[in-house]
Amino acid sequence: MSFVVERSPVPGWLTERISNRHLVAVGIGWVTLFFVFPILFLVVESLNFGDGSLFEAYRRAMGGVYVDAFVRSFIYGFVTTVLTLVFAYALAYYLVFVSDRVRLLLTLVVVPLWVAYIIRYFGLLLFFSPTGPLGELGLEIDLLFTSTAVVLGLANAYLPFAVLPIYNSLNAIHHETINASRVLGAGQFRTIREVVLPLSTPGIVAAGVIVFILATGSFLGPAVLGGPNQAMIANEIARTFLEAYNIQLASALAVIYTVLLVAFITAFNAVFNLQEALGNL
Amino acid sequence: MSVTASIRRASLVRQGALLAVLVAIYAFLLVPVAVVILTSFTGQTFPAIPYDGISVQWYAELFADNQLLGALMTSFVVATSASLLSVAFGTAAAVGFVRAEFPYKQQLSTIMLLPMIISPVITGIALIRYFGMVNVSSGYPALIIGHSILTVPYVFLLVRSQLVTFDEDLEQASRVLGADSTVTFMNVTAPIISPALLAGFFISFVVSFGEFTATQFLISPGSSTVPVEIYTMLRTGLTPTINALSTVLVVIMVVAALLSRYFER
Repeated sequence: MSFVVERSPVPGWLTERISNRHLVAVGIGWVTLFFVFPILFLVVESLNFGDGSLFEAYRRAMGGVYVDAFVRSFIYGFVTTVLTLVFAYALAYYLVFVSDRVRLLLTLVVVPLWVAYIIRYFGLLLFFSPTGPLGELGLEIDLLFTSTAVVLGLANAYLPFAVLPIYNSLNAIHHETINASRVLGAGQFRTIREVVLPLSTPGIVAAGVIVFILATGSFLGPAVLGGPNQAMIANEIARTFLEAYNIQLASALAVIYTVLLVAFITAFNAVFNLQEALGNL
Repeated sequence: MSVTASIRRASLVRQGALLAVLVAIYAFLLVPVAVVILTSFTGQTFPAIPYDGISVQWYAELFADNQLLGALMTSFVVATSASLLSVAFGTAAAVGFVRAEFPYKQQLSTIMLLPMIISPVITGIALIRYFGMVNVSSGYPALIIGHSILTVPYVFLLVRSQLVTFDEDLEQASRVLGADSTVTFMNVTAPIISPALLAGFFISFVVSFGEFTATQFLISPGSSTVPVEIYTMLRTGLTPTINALSTVLVVIMVVAALLSRYFER
């Protein structure tokens, strides 16, 4: 692309006043105006400034259904993370150390990321359904609308997010390090356990944090693949807002969930730089 | 049989096992999308693998359905407008953060990434309540602003990583030769970072086109997007028209993403 501007279209007195700090202010300002403020107003809405107790909605949020949904979200999030890390590590290991068609295979990992979540969950719904390919083969699987279906759906949706950071951290390991371990007499498994695995920890942590955040906050996974007994916290928040019209309670649930998650992220951020991890995607 | 041969055989077995695991993982990743596309060509009245011949009747059905075509149009307009906004604000922030030095820089830049971290259900509810307060109507205005917030972190990250490898001497040279900062930006900076801007645009487009969770709160009657239509159809009963619509969506998203990757390098 070549184009030459000989005279500035913007008057000189203005150009001299736009500094890099102003650019930061423009970007941050946009996100603050239409994201930070709305979230802060949600916090205000969660509090009861009318009559009675200020924390009325929070007291209700401690009710059985909601606690169940919180616990379920974090359990599904955890199981999904473990499952995803195992799959992603095997895949990334193969890509870095075995395969010689890395570009093609890496593209195949990224392609699902480009396809909307709703379509992938829909695909799994068809796959698990009695009229799906497994049903046609005469296999009776009653997975649909169970916890297993939801967790498999979440793992499917977020697996690419785990592969990329792990791939990057494995790719950064110098082959000399591995050769040294082998020359010094360690077998393949000992080399993996004592050299490769420790050196790829940053990638594993990043992948785990990202998948955990995305999975616990998922709305579509349980909405498409689960039944009423698989509702996660995002589903309860949406239902409280859209069906029960209880804005105060929905806001309180959103605040509790976000505070729990931010506490979790802060703890991990102390050990590992999450910005770098997100930048690797 | 020699010892080396048996070691070689053991290693072959291990490689075979690894390969089998790999094939299973790839199948797990790709089969759901393949099933959606394949079953869109069924001759039946429900989504089924078309073993006995291919039919495009559900595509004919789709292209005769004004509501679904309207949703495609809405998605297109929203994704394009939101991506333009994201590129403008994401690039401004990225340039500023890479070039300027100020206290709490790292912490402040986290604000640009927050929309990626907060669950989109919460973003959607917060936005629609706030829009009600500041008089932004639901439908197009809400969708465009909302999607630009959800996509701006991607542009920010892409452009920032491109700028880190940018040779600032080129800008200095331009300034020394007498160009002011705007002329320098247009002639030097913009051409160098334009691939990142285009990549950012197409990635935003893909994210916006497929977004459902926050979107469901922001639509108004007559401004429904494709993912919202698919979700509604999933709830009301499976007809292969959903598959045809999903397949069209997949094609649009994959083309946009391929364009993004093309510009990224």
